[in-house]
Amino acid sequence: MTDRNFNPNPYSARRRSLLLAAGASLAAPFAAHAQAGGEDIVIGGSIPMTGVFAFAGIGIDAGMKDYVKMVNDAGGIKGRKIRYVPEDTGYKVDVSVAAFKKITSQNKVNLYYGDSTGFAKTINSELDRNGNILMAGASFATELNDPKKYPHQFLVGPDYTEMFGILLNHIAKEKPGAKVAFVYSDSEFGRDPIDESEALAKKLGLSVPVKIMTPAGSVDVSTEVIKLRRAAPDYTIFHGYILAPIPEFITQGKQQGMKSKWMGTFWTMDSSTVMKMGEAGEGFMGVMPYRYYYDTEKAPMLEKIRALHADYQSTAYIQGFLAAMLFVESAKRTLEAGKPLNGDNLKAALNSIKDFDTGGLIGVPITITGNSIPVGRVYKADMKAQKMVPASDWIKL
Amino acid sequence: MRIGTLKETYLGDAALFDSRTQKGWLIVLAAALVLFPFFAGSYWLYLACLVAINVASASGLNILTGYTGLVSLGQAAFMGLGAYTVAVLEIRLGTPFLLNLLAGGFVAMLGGLVVGIPSLRVKGLYLAIVTIAASFIAHFLFANFDLTGGTAGLTVPPAQIFGLQLDTSFKLYWLIVPITALMLLGSANLFRTRIGRAFIAIRDRDISAEVLGIPLLRTKLLSFGLSSFYAGVAGGLFAYFFRVITPESFPLSMSIFFLAAIIVGGMGTQLGAVLGATFMTLVPEALKLIVDIMPGGASFTVFLSPVRTIVFGLLIIGFLVFEPQGLAEVWRRIRRFFHLWPFRT
Repeated sequence: MTDRNFNPNPYSARRRSLLLAAGASLAAPFAAHAQAGGEDIVIGGSIPMTGVFAFAGIGIDAGMKDYVKMVNDAGGIKGRKIRYVPEDTGYKVDVSVAAFKKITSQNKVNLYYGDSTGFAKTINSELDRNGNILMAGASFATELNDPKKYPHQFLVGPDYTEMFGILLNHIAKEKPGAKVAFVYSDSEFGRDPIDESEALAKKLGLSVPVKIMTPAGSVDVSTEVIKLRRAAPDYTIFHGYILAPIPEFITQGKQQGMKSKWMGTFWTMDSSTVMKMGEAGEGFMGVMPYRYYYDTEKAPMLEKIRALHADYQSTAYIQGFLAAMLFVESAKRTLEAGKPLNGDNLKAALNSIKDFDTGGLIGVPITITGNSIPVGRVYKADMKAQKMVPASDWIKL
Repeated sequence: MRIGTLKETYLGDAALFDSRTQKGWLIVLAAALVLFPFFAGSYWLYLACLVAINVASASGLNILTGYTGLVSLGQAAFMGLGAYTVAVLEIRLGTPFLLNLLAGGFVAMLGGLVVGIPSLRVKGLYLAIVTIAASFIAHFLFANFDLTGGTAGLTVPPAQIFGLQLDTSFKLYWLIVPITALMLLGSANLFRTRIGRAFIAIRDRDISAEVLGIPLLRTKLLSFGLSSFYAGVAGGLFAYFFRVITPESFPLSMSIFFLAAIIVGGMGTQLGAVLGATFMTLVPEALKLIVDIMPGGASFTVFLSPVRTIVFGLLIIGFLVFEPQGLAEVWRRIRRFFHLWPFRT
């Protein structure tokens, strides 16, 4: 008979597991530090996996992870492995800065992915002071496309003004002298390209009969639609929104007999976002710097992605994937040149990229001379096929 | 075992620090705050500065909402006024940072006085809506003037003292934490004065306060002004800390954050504002640390991040349901436990 009160082990299982957890939590920073002492190339990431931008953050995170795994499986860069250290930010600048501080204090970070324009601007002075990091991110803000002011950052595509430029070039070719309306949100994101793009439109012989600003995500846009109908534009470009109020504008506009062609910019142009527009989305066009997951034109990297994931991967995924690819390429070129991995060298390596083949993620070879990749293509929604199909050739600015 | 504090004079009763033990612990806390930057990494220093800024602003809101009973959802807008004032002065005039911070406080104070005027006529939810309107107006002003840099905002040069640039969390710590400590001391002293007691009288029953001879509008405006001054200075510190301010730096959700902080911390107590702001700032980070050490690490982040947000929300609900008097009351209970140990209350 055993004594039920007798416990041969002074520590109960619960206590032991608590002790183990406490020990693990204490050891975690040391473990991270120990890893940092190795030769890993570290990509840090302020990734919005919760909050209003989570739809993009989750895709970006998956894209970065997949590319890092591909490189590591192939042996890394000159025998050095890539380590991706992400942290959720909820798309808040202060949380994002905290994530940056945390990741950089626990790892020797060489490359970093930021989640917003606000973060990119806030952390810029820290990047300059730190001097060891090259950063890219989810922002396409025109302001960041300035190598003097932001010497250690770059955009993974065209900036918002360049996106407008691609659309306006397409319009000028398709219908010279067309009337183009701009509808944008009352936010930094929305207002970003408007003034410069109006000037460009005039230069291209186009006119801008109306510019309409609405609150981001507004629902009741009936008065704005009346204003838009009066201006009778041939094309209407929406910017600074993800989805709402674009379908409302199009539905009401069509009901009022408008013949405008409707267009959007990158963050509106994910296939799943456009398909959510329903009937209103038929024929919706917009600028996309990357190929879509399902594009059938020659793209070996897309084939690899499709082999990894049988289901559709968002354009945010492609953006994250390409960001990681350009990070790795910069690090590779820096190491091949026998230079230390610091912000200046990594950026110089990035800017040495000329006619680079992205494996078809972007349909033409890219050259990065400044802080952006000023290339894109106009795609159009085919609601029957539930796909975005090319409506132009690749346009380089 | 300590069972009580004997007070023999009115002066003793009104003393800020009423026992030797309390003074001793405060000295320990001050020493810990002085030593902290020398041992902490940049992440913890960053968090310490952020907590201090949030504590400063929350203690300002506590003066208005906790002590005077006037609900405000405009604290972020007042912080914005302070931050923009500091940024404009720093960029355009290059005046010393202390002067800029004071100016930021006073400009926010003016804003607070204007927004406070309706407080004589409206109370509670109605006043909350008035202050929300104020934050919309402030957002419009920030986003539409060249002086404020429009939607792109302003990039603020680092604060400087004797040619030394305060551009790292370590250096900024020595600016932010002492100023916050001073503000807390000022706020604690305020409630030992006639004005502070008038605030409390208004909170408890404004009609009775008026009968007692307290001028309601003047006192309410003063409370608004002081609260906004605190927000303005906190906003100025925010500007020096983040070095970039845009209209989107001060959203309505930030005002809700501060209101939640003083409710969670315990309204109408100094400690409440401190604990509430600290809790609201640090718990999401602490939950992240827990997520990090979970097996699976980064690959689980996608699944655990939303869970973290839910846990944070549930923690707030839990506190309010089970401890409506906030963290300050929990702290008092812990203290009582140790005072009376081995006896139980």
